[in-house]
Amino acid sequence: MKKTKTKAPKQKMSGKKLAATIYRYRGFYLMFLPVFVFAIIFSYLPMVGIRYAFTNYNGIKEPVFVGLKNFQKMFGMANFWSAFTNTIVISVTKLILTTAFAVVVSLFLNELVNIHFKKAVQTILYLPHFMSWVVTASIFSLILAPTNHGLVNTFLVNIGVLQPDKMIYFLGSEKWWRFSYYLINIWKETGWQTVIFMATLAGINTELYEAAAIDGAGRWGKMRYITFPALANTILTVFILNLAKVMNLFESAFVLQNDAVLGTANVLETYIYYQTFNSGAIPNYGYTTAIGLFKSLVGCILVLTCNQWSKKVRDGRGIV
Amino acid sequence: MKKKLVSLFLATAMVATMAGCGNNDTPASTPASNGSSSESQAGSSEQTPAVAEVEKPDSITVMIDGTVPTKENYGDEFWKKYTELTGIEVNVIQPDHDAYYDVVGQTIAGGDWPDVIILSSTYYAGYAAEGVLWDMTDAYASSDLKARHEAKAGSAGVVDSLRINGKLFGMPATHGNGCVTYVKQTWLDNVGITSVPTNYEEYVAMLDAFTTGDPDGDGVNGNTFAVSAAGFAGKEAPYTNYLPEFYQDAYPSFIQDENGVWYDGFNTDSMKAAMQRLADAYAAGYIDPTTLTNGTSDCRNKFYSDEFGIFTYWAGTWANNLKTNLEANGLSGDLVALPPIAEVGAYVDRITPAWCITSSCENPEGVFKYFIEAMQDGGDVQFLFTYGVEGCHWSTAAETLWADDEAKAKTYAEGEFHFLPNAEKPTTAYTKAHIDPMLALVDLEAPANSVTETAKNAQELFNANCKSAFIVPTTETMSEFNGDLTTLKNELIAKVTMGELSVDEAYAKYEADGGKAWSDAIVESLNQ
Repeated sequence: MKKTKTKAPKQKMSGKKLAATIYRYRGFYLMFLPVFVFAIIFSYLPMVGIRYAFTNYNGIKEPVFVGLKNFQKMFGMANFWSAFTNTIVISVTKLILTTAFAVVVSLFLNELVNIHFKKAVQTILYLPHFMSWVVTASIFSLILAPTNHGLVNTFLVNIGVLQPDKMIYFLGSEKWWRFSYYLINIWKETGWQTVIFMATLAGINTELYEAAAIDGAGRWGKMRYITFPALANTILTVFILNLAKVMNLFESAFVLQNDAVLGTANVLETYIYYQTFNSGAIPNYGYTTAIGLFKSLVGCILVLTCNQWSKKVRDGRGIV
Repeated sequence: MKKKLVSLFLATAMVATMAGCGNNDTPASTPASNGSSSESQAGSSEQTPAVAEVEKPDSITVMIDGTVPTKENYGDEFWKKYTELTGIEVNVIQPDHDAYYDVVGQTIAGGDWPDVIILSSTYYAGYAAEGVLWDMTDAYASSDLKARHEAKAGSAGVVDSLRINGKLFGMPATHGNGCVTYVKQTWLDNVGITSVPTNYEEYVAMLDAFTTGDPDGDGVNGNTFAVSAAGFAGKEAPYTNYLPEFYQDAYPSFIQDENGVWYDGFNTDSMKAAMQRLADAYAAGYIDPTTLTNGTSDCRNKFYSDEFGIFTYWAGTWANNLKTNLEANGLSGDLVALPPIAEVGAYVDRITPAWCITSSCENPEGVFKYFIEAMQDGGDVQFLFTYGVEGCHWSTAAETLWADDEAKAKTYAEGEFHFLPNAEKPTTAYTKAHIDPMLALVDLEAPANSVTETAKNAQELFNANCKSAFIVPTTETMSEFNGDLTTLKNELIAKVTMGELSVDEAYAKYEADGGKAWSDAIVESLNQ
């Protein structure tokens, strides 16, 4: 049989053909339509607001064009750079830690034989994900309190690690705040991330483990030569996808930070919040929009960079 | 065919969901009047002969916070009663109390302004400067309300405290009120203190006794704190009202001296001394270490749990709330309201939130006369705004409240006025609707027993020992720098108090980080 090479059409599909295709898949287009309209209204139309970044605008009078003045002010503020650095450091560290812990927990869960116990543990692990950050902050403020009502400090005093008059204010100290923040995030988010990794692990062919057992591989050997490689692609994909979102950090930082730790805890979105609500006057939305625009640009660069990495590791498949 | 039907159904469901999400729950602002005098409602008989005839609005759109009865607290019944009394329909926009000013900002920016809006002093001054608010100076000057205010001592002064360059853009419904320091009587008894402190030295001695002694009577020394608060510095003016004994004459924001010249109180020696006092007290363990992260509800809960004994909190009704909650926790509710110590001089009566008419209101004179004035008419409408709705907030029926709790049960005879259990917190009773009867600016015949002795005593002590706060005008320079400046000041106060920085190090950082420059720029703009 003669093989015929099919070339990608060089010309645009004719209008008739396009209409026919759309009609053929009209159900899918119909389903897609609300999402498309939603994206236009809530994601693209608001981009018109970017113009406020180049103005002084207090939300009442007409905006006054000031060019790059807001950006000049922003780049000249030490607090801005501190917030920017904090955002990157805290987000990336949190991402690495939660992903690593999720992988480890997934591997341990995968080794559980009793299916009911496995499911129960998994459910308990991912329940914190559904707790609101406000409630989480309230609970951990109590647990980490530097008084004899604080669970952690009381435990450390009882086992002799701390003196009663030298309790640690975990959430009130710049030295300990990030450590506490990461722990709280691990507690809250690890379980949820295991869902993705457990799904990947469930898809590994069991015959591979049987073959490995025949070849004399123990538990660690199976994990090293079968489980890890199977999981690697998923780990990388999840990591890259989440890396694109590192600039979006507000709620968790806002509820856990306080006046004493702003040097290490203030992130870009909380910086914008304080600019708006601490000014004692009607805020300049032009300045806060400029900060938001900068944040979005950095996020965009991250997404594109991650897209390139993704193509390299996932056989040419990007994330966008 | 089935697939097509399913996909059509899903698409329809998604569209419906989007439409629901995008639906604006806030009612469109209705015209304040329909513009036609021929449709004036019956029942409006008040006319002020000296003033040109003012048209009564058919409906008003009001934007209010949680200080007015919410839906959960019979808000609908409240406004229904208001309509019955006045003949005016009210469209209510009432965001969640904690997010009120977020929504106010969005509403003002969105352009669809309500007719009436409640604003705190910061937003009042800011929006007045931007022309958002209607100038009610003349309307007030020729109103009956002015006469009623002048008939009651102190009320005219509260109105005057809202004037900006002589003009009035909002109407207070009550005194601003402020905080007074409450001390548990049992704690004083247990440590052998027989008289309340009158100066800072005696105050510190009390702090020491409460921290190192056994004031809670549990047999253990040193397991209590003397004082706690919601933060080392308040998040809104006056910033010092939760720890007045430590701040004394210091003020961390902008003040006007007797010559009318503005300056930044943070840059003064008084403020440095205040920070040192806080640091010394914190190091000695007098101040609850979790003050940094406390909210007001955290403080109240710790107070009710007997973790600390000195609490500076709102005067008046809150005195009774604190008492009843202590008793509900099995503790003595005896509290001593302290007169201000010598170094404090007087507690601060904050600038009260104002009821403002926006400049987009089509009939501001009518709204002023028939809504703003009526709220303080000394009659039925003021009674509604003070005590609420019969059967919802109060009753005169013979009944026993909390009958299943012997210790708490209260029996009332027929005709005896009493507040009803709070819908959201049934173990406590309402104490007011919107206007605190003890803070009212216009006299109203109060039902017998509507105010407890505890609340009344605390309020009278505060009223006799308070000084008015002041409005700080808003400038562009303040918008530009005060966000960063306030954040820096709060950070330094917290770090000095907790011993992470000395006062000198804090002020060196203040200067190095640009705080002094920002402060000077704002002061210059205020004095222009």
